[in-house]
Amino acid sequence: MHRRHPEIDPQLLSETDEQRQLRTVLRDLYAEASGIEEVRKHLATPRGYDEALWARLAGEIGVHGLAIPEEYGGSGFTFAELAVALEESGRALYCAPLLPTVVLAAHALLLSGDRTACERYLPRIADGTLTATVAGFGPDGRSGGSREPAVTAEQGSNGWVLCGRADFVLDGAGAELVLVRAGTPAGPRIFACEPAPGTCLRTPRRVLDETRRQALVEFRGAPATAVGTAEQAEGAVSATLDTGRAALAAEQVGGSGHALGATVAFVAQRHQFGRPIGSFQAVKHRLADVLVALEAARSGSAYATACAAIASPQLPVAACAAAVVCSETFRMATAEYVQLHGGIGFTWEHPAHLYVRRARGAEVLFGTADQHRTRLAGLVGLAPRPAA
Amino acid sequence: MSGIPEPDEFRAEARTWLAGVARPRATGGEWGSGSDSVAVFENWTEEQEREHTARVQEWERTRYDQGWSALNWPQEYGGRSLPAYYEQLYRGEEAAFDVPHRPEIFPVTQALVAPAIGLWGTEEQKSRWLVPMLRTDELACQLFSETEAGSDLAAVRTRAVREGDDAWVLTGHKVWTSGARVATWGVAVCHTDPDVRKHAGITVFLVRMDAPGVTVRPIRQMTGGTSFNEVYLDGVRVPDTDRLGPVGEGWRVTLSVLAAERLDSGSLGLDNADRALDLAGNLSRPLTGGEQQRAADLHLRTLVQRLMGLRVTAALVAGREPGAEASVGKLYATETMRRTSDLVSELLGPSLVADTGEWGTYAWTEHLLGAPGYSIAGGTDEIQRTILAERVLGLPKEPVR
Ligand SMILES: Cc1cc2nc3c(=O)[nH]c(=O)nc-3n(C[C@H](O)[C@H](O)[C@H](O)COP(=O)(O)OP(=O)(O)OC[C@H]3O[C@@H](n4cnc5c(N)ncnc54)[C@H](O)[C@@H]3O)c2cc1C
Repeated sequence: MHRRHPEIDPQLLSETDEQRQLRTVLRDLYAEASGIEEVRKHLATPRGYDEALWARLAGEIGVHGLAIPEEYGGSGFTFAELAVALEESGRALYCAPLLPTVVLAAHALLLSGDRTACERYLPRIADGTLTATVAGFGPDGRSGGSREPAVTAEQGSNGWVLCGRADFVLDGAGAELVLVRAGTPAGPRIFACEPAPGTCLRTPRRVLDETRRQALVEFRGAPATAVGTAEQAEGAVSATLDTGRAALAAEQVGGSGHALGATVAFVAQRHQFGRPIGSFQAVKHRLADVLVALEAARSGSAYATACAAIASPQLPVAACAAAVVCSETFRMATAEYVQLHGGIGFTWEHPAHLYVRRARGAEVLFGTADQHRTRLAGLVGLAPRPAA
Repeated sequence: MSGIPEPDEFRAEARTWLAGVARPRATGGEWGSGSDSVAVFENWTEEQEREHTARVQEWERTRYDQGWSALNWPQEYGGRSLPAYYEQLYRGEEAAFDVPHRPEIFPVTQALVAPAIGLWGTEEQKSRWLVPMLRTDELACQLFSETEAGSDLAAVRTRAVREGDDAWVLTGHKVWTSGARVATWGVAVCHTDPDVRKHAGITVFLVRMDAPGVTVRPIRQMTGGTSFNEVYLDGVRVPDTDRLGPVGEGWRVTLSVLAAERLDSGSLGLDNADRALDLAGNLSRPLTGGEQQRAADLHLRTLVQRLMGLRVTAALVAGREPGAEASVGKLYATETMRRTSDLVSELLGPSLVADTGEWGTYAWTEHLLGAPGYSIAGGTDEIQRTILAERVLGLPKEPVR
């Protein structure tokens, strides 16, 4: 009946004391250990991120295990705590594969309901010793949105083997575990593949946003094990993607918060015409609009997070809404980040473009805004009906 | 916690109560019948305004007397001391029932003026005014704006001069006063000390709208109808006991009313956006791709706007004053109203602008023409942006003029 009203206990939309503490700890840690110069330095390394910091985050703070149940080596908090960590990571532009490992792969395993696979992999994800990703989950940009898997699985004499290719795989060249959605005679299923050079060719793509690496992954008879059942696979894939959208939304909020904060600080001290440029109304009003957009994004993100945390049936709607508002906000906030800094904002030296790249990369990661809106329309009964 | 019901439990209780006192609103299946009004500001004659006001008052009294109004007020004022967002939870349920639509004078009285009295009133004033206002036996309008003092409200020229120890005499001309024809009280922002800098010389009074010297004249709006007025105050005598807050502190009193107004405006436009989405869902032809995109966008906007409201009220519960942040909600809401107009124009095309007599088509012109009013009333969109920039983002003020 009230399908336009958020279905959530309002308390779940605001931060708990514990979450606030986690935020403070992470913000300090990123400020100390992962400033923008460190990020740039690590981008140039083979693995592309600070592996020592990765280990500290998993070990000292337990970020990786926040949303993993205790029985699988996690700390059994919820997605809401993980979202706090992701927001802070997004703010700092932390460039390690948290999203593919801790969000996508971990949730694909959890949602598959396959206890053996969970026992096998989740403890290593939680303690930071395994990097993982998913492949073939989203509609591949080139297959025109077709849900027909581009990877197929065949039962060989020694178990399943995978053939086919998946593009735009996050951390696809580096991840030690790839969860692949592949077609079988019984329909699409999820498979776990630990890529080996002989049977899996991984080609890093040149990417706009170097803080988030992507690769083309070609499976050439790669051995794999089935995860979960064929019946559950499509539901698990879809829920994993929605969880990914909620996670990305939290990152986008963090990135937008950085862009707004840095711009406000700059315009308050930069003088032209004998006064701070931040006292000009043309500047003020643009930043006020960013603030409005940021509050909208925070609200959309908080809802998607809360829905993911309690596995609400509203998650698909919330995830679509968050994807649209948070992408829009991040794009706008980073555009103003450059514009209101003037010439300095257009330089390679200045961090603004790293955030622009992140924003543009993120907004198409799990579908475009049009795709999210089309899906939302279907979910809420606004789909075009066939002509009578 | 003591006595605070779980939200779900509260909503179920509200539904049960509502089912006993009101009829359910026509649902999707019955699209096309009942009232098709989407007026933002009503186009009423004085008689219609009085009639409708009386109907709303009757409903508000039922609500109040049976414990479903004033939810966040303490028991002595008829409330239940519930967190502020319970009002929103209640509204969510009430939306499914056919209850009279509240024109602005009601939220102004209950959500703007009453809280200001709660904050600034003496004990005597609170016991005299709060219950009648929360119950809407008394209705209060805002006598703030003047021809020369709109955005720059502190420039008001209406003068209040002491007469003896226990009274004041008010003289001035107020404009754009919503609901003045049905209000029994007016909250007047006046100048009491011409010798000090403008903000320091302001004092606020509650004026009986039937006092000798008060003249109300309707002003016709761009919608064609009349919901605001000009109000002449010609030597109106006001007892000192009707002064709200200390002499010379009126600017702070005014600001608390304006802050409440912004807070209250976060839910503006949602009803009509919902209606526009119903229209999209009930069109007799398939939606085009572009229309579907626009409609989905409006849908998620209403969702986000409601979430923003819940977050602001949740912050209130946690004891944080949302203050200037409330401008965010007002700016978001006025944009929702514009996008509603845009979607409807797309969906209805020519039958929006020429009256074919068809239900739910030309009626949308009232939204189209009314919506711009809220980008002006209660502080313009530009003023809200300045508030956000200076008071939330902390940007430097304009150099002094
Ligand atoms: C439907 C409606 C109902 C109303 N109801 C009431 C009521 O009940 N009681 C009451 O007291 N008043 C009421 N008002 C009046 C309302 O508060 C004022 O109209 C409003 O504050 C703007 O003032 P103004 O009309 O004098 O416009 P102005 O202040 O002259 O503004 C004109 C334009 O200039 C812009 N502007 C002004 N100053 C600045 C600045 N510093 N920076 C940038 N731009 C600026 C404004 O944003 C606006 O676009 C109502 C108005 C409307 C439209």
